[in-house]
Amino acid sequence: MLALAVLSQQSWAAGARGTAKSALAPLEAQMMALASTVGRATAIFGDVASLRAENQRLNAENQDLKRQLAELNAAAYDNKELRLALDFQRSFGHRTVVAQVVGRGPDAFSLTLQIDRGSEDGVRSGMIVVSGAGLVGRVRETGPHGAIVQTLADPQSRANVYLSGSGLQGTVIGGPGSLQVQIEHRLGAIPSKGEWAITSGVGGGYPRGLVVGDLVNVTHSDAATVDSALVDWVNDPAALSLVIVVTDFVPS
Amino acid sequence: MKVVAGLALMVAAALVQVTWASQLDIAGVFPNLVLIAVIGLAWTQGVRAGLLWACAGGILLDLNAPGPLGLHALALLAGVYATGFWARNLDRESPLHPAGAVALSTVLYSLLLVGADDALGLPIPPLRTAVQLTIAASLYNAALMPLALLALRRAAAGLHWEQAAT
Repeated sequence: MLALAVLSQQSWAAGARGTAKSALAPLEAQMMALASTVGRATAIFGDVASLRAENQRLNAENQDLKRQLAELNAAAYDNKELRLALDFQRSFGHRTVVAQVVGRGPDAFSLTLQIDRGSEDGVRSGMIVVSGAGLVGRVRETGPHGAIVQTLADPQSRANVYLSGSGLQGTVIGGPGSLQVQIEHRLGAIPSKGEWAITSGVGGGYPRGLVVGDLVNVTHSDAATVDSALVDWVNDPAALSLVIVVTDFVPS
Repeated sequence: MKVVAGLALMVAAALVQVTWASQLDIAGVFPNLVLIAVIGLAWTQGVRAGLLWACAGGILLDLNAPGPLGLHALALLAGVYATGFWARNLDRESPLHPAGAVALSTVLYSLLLVGADDALGLPIPPLRTAVQLTIAASLYNAALMPLALLALRRAAAGLHWEQAAT
């Protein structure tokens, strides 16, 4: 097994590994569809189904409004601080591929998603994955008809962000339960609860302007070199069913 | 027949684990159904059967995980091996022992998974996070093990499988 692990990690085996990994995608898609059917079937008692649909619609609307609010906050900040640098093409002009989530990582150490689009659909490792609400993560591996996405909730994920209100810079770190952000100190600025964490583009890992979440439970100390806060991520990886792969952004 | 039933169990456990199990998330972890099934098989059918199904189940999990193939299989093998010692020396009928065995196996499984990732140069979670996740997963899997074992014993009785000595 160790030999298999070492061999399958070689670059010349990447194609075969990707093909093998996307082999289960159709079965998983069927399972997800079945889960959805079972969910609908069990919701026929009373008005549960209609309430659930209404709840989903309101949730989607709420997420959309949250995104719009965050984008407005981001735009206001950019207008104030970086008016000339504002580039709408970055926010709205990306080429994308819509993919269905067909599976999730088998253990809690790698909070990943498996999607039903792969290299034959133009998806490549390193591409950014978003949802209607905001940033989801990054494509880690691809097969011909499937890919594995490392989500922001993965403990190994990092994303550089700025805060919409104070403009402070920080790094979002993945983790079980909730995301954490380490915020750099700047004289005269203190992070506050409710501020939006938005990708800053620093480091080139993610494009600027993608919503990550809002700050909750901020811990500030004048003696510390960084502040920390929990981030209420706009996405719930357990509930994501469709994601968008940004195909024209190349991380540096 | 035994092979087909075992394979069906592994495929079903793996598919449910990577599709539905995340809905049962508690404290950042969800049940490792393949590990539970493999330890259950090792407990009821013997270590040799457990090792065989650990390879099959592990490869199925590897197909859904980032990184190289074989790591989950290797981690499951370690768990089954430890379970073999446990089952050989203690009362097989007690529901507490398999729960303890699966908790120990989860710890070994997690250690091996993180250790192998580290050895292969793949990114690993921070130590504190890894420890938290491992403890939570151990407790979760241990809580589910008696139920899984009961179901497995009933299925084995229905299929007229004999319990192996080791």
